[in-house]
Amino acid sequence: MSLQVKAPEPLKAVEKTQTVRRGRSLSARRTGAGYVMSAPALLFLGATMLFPLAYNFWTSVHDVAIGDLITGDWQFSGADNYDSVVSEGAFWHAMRISLVFTAGSLFFQFTIGFALALLFAKTFPLAGLFRSLMLVAWLLPPIVSGTLFRWMLDADAGAYNELLRLVGLDSLAHNWLTDPSTALPGVIAANIWVGVPFNMLLLLVGLQSIDPTLYEAAEIDGAGPWQRLRHITVPMMKPVSAAVLLLGLIYTFKVFDLVFVLTGGGPVDSTRVLPLYVYEVAFKLFQLGRGAAAGALLLVIPLIVAIVYVRRLRKEGAAS
Amino acid sequence: MTRTERPWLLTLVAGVITAFFLLPLYWMIATSLKKPDQVLVSPPQWIPSPFTGESYSRALDKPMLGQALLNSVVISLGVVALTLLLAVPLTYAVARIRMRGSGAMVLSLLVAQLLPSIVLAAPLFIVLRQVELTNTLIGLVIADTTLTLPFAVIVLRPLVRAMPVEVEEAALVDGCGLPGVLWRVVLPIMRPGLIAIGGFSFLLGWGEFVFGITLNSDPKVQPVTVLLNTFVGQTGTDWGPLMAVATLVSIPVVCVFAMLQRYIVGGLTAGSVKS
Repeated sequence: MSLQVKAPEPLKAVEKTQTVRRGRSLSARRTGAGYVMSAPALLFLGATMLFPLAYNFWTSVHDVAIGDLITGDWQFSGADNYDSVVSEGAFWHAMRISLVFTAGSLFFQFTIGFALALLFAKTFPLAGLFRSLMLVAWLLPPIVSGTLFRWMLDADAGAYNELLRLVGLDSLAHNWLTDPSTALPGVIAANIWVGVPFNMLLLLVGLQSIDPTLYEAAEIDGAGPWQRLRHITVPMMKPVSAAVLLLGLIYTFKVFDLVFVLTGGGPVDSTRVLPLYVYEVAFKLFQLGRGAAAGALLLVIPLIVAIVYVRRLRKEGAAS
Repeated sequence: MTRTERPWLLTLVAGVITAFFLLPLYWMIATSLKKPDQVLVSPPQWIPSPFTGESYSRALDKPMLGQALLNSVVISLGVVALTLLLAVPLTYAVARIRMRGSGAMVLSLLVAQLLPSIVLAAPLFIVLRQVELTNTLIGLVIADTTLTLPFAVIVLRPLVRAMPVEVEEAALVDGCGLPGVLWRVVLPIMRPGLIAIGGFSFLLGWGEFVFGITLNSDPKVQPVTVLLNTFVGQTGTDWGPLMAVATLVSIPVVCVFAMLQRYIVGGLTAGSVKS
């Protein structure tokens, strides 16, 4: 089952089928080649995604702790793991934190991203440079962004607190991440910072694809900038906005590393998002069965969103 | 969109916003260049004086940093290679060849992008342990590729579909076998997408953390993101060297992005909005 060795095979394999099947018709030959070309990637994804997912489900209906992994002594336990996770306060707490984290991040990422996209849709010197510089924030490893924000939000020497003091808001200046009442806003702020450039970029593409003659016509009809925004830009941006928000929801709901390095879920669980909860059950407590069940439950929300998203794409595809 | 009357005013506004937005990055670099005893003074120094590389030499003295940086380079390049090797033939097949199930394949690739790494991590650990690839760089390359491969196919597919079939057919008639067509016709057309995916895979491999911390417990093969997290835990307030490490980790990201910007931006927007 050595996956590594399989990887370089596709081109060689295609050559072989070519010589063997020379006599067949073009399309039949190509269908065969298609399967051969798909095979390495599909085997890979089968071994590294499908099988692990199935295995995760299998684990979730058994009573497994780390010791049983070696002995192979697995007891079928039906929905017990799910029951135990769902009846635990910590799970619902994490779910609530995740929902607040996702909603807060999405709202600000999207509105700030939209405002910036409106700005950058105009033509002015250095626009391209500024836009690219912002994108760097989004491409940084989340561990780096998390480390940065730990430092930015630090009590005495943190740059954001210093800015607050400069504008006379001394009372707000404190260590955001160690105070249970401000840790979650701090973590959300960091995640907004990471997500704004991506939202801006996608929304900008949307703005640029709006037909400029619509604006010209509206201007001739006497529509002011506000009316043009409300009656042309906003309705025309609906499909792109929906896609951006759905993608944002999917990505934000599974954020792990940023929160992990910022707070590790604390203080007193105030930032323990669902992915961190799953990590803790499976990799800290080594309750593999319960961890698998929690993981499966973590999939539910993205999956619902995925169904909505794919349906949307299908509809769009049918319309265009 | 619309002609602007006072473009420099907009430049000023955008400049101020960008500067505020990039403050954390500036602060990272500034902190890394300060003298260690100047890092925690309040009110802080906005500009380091004097500039010094002391934090860098202290960071590089830390055991494992060099090794971890090297590990991350190897992992990232491995992810680029494995992603392209697997994605190109699969993309061509699902985009071009009439096969049963290719619609379902594309759909499952879309869905695959939603999976949180942390859900995959535990069962993937067990799979990798079966083939004795936990605690190896190859194991991490394989795990990271589960994140890049679905995205790669989704970005590359429209490029192949946009290519006129006639070009391929002409090449086939001219006596090129299918491999020849792939090599001489299809790959060159996919080039911008391949560069985008290469850059994207590199960045993803470079920044990956979840698999790094769950599939590996050997400090000798840990990626630099995992080491950085360890530093954060150990040296909670030793911000100078910590920011020096963060800067070192950011440099390749900035370089790759600067070189491949056009491709990456194009590829990302194509993959996310349309597909």
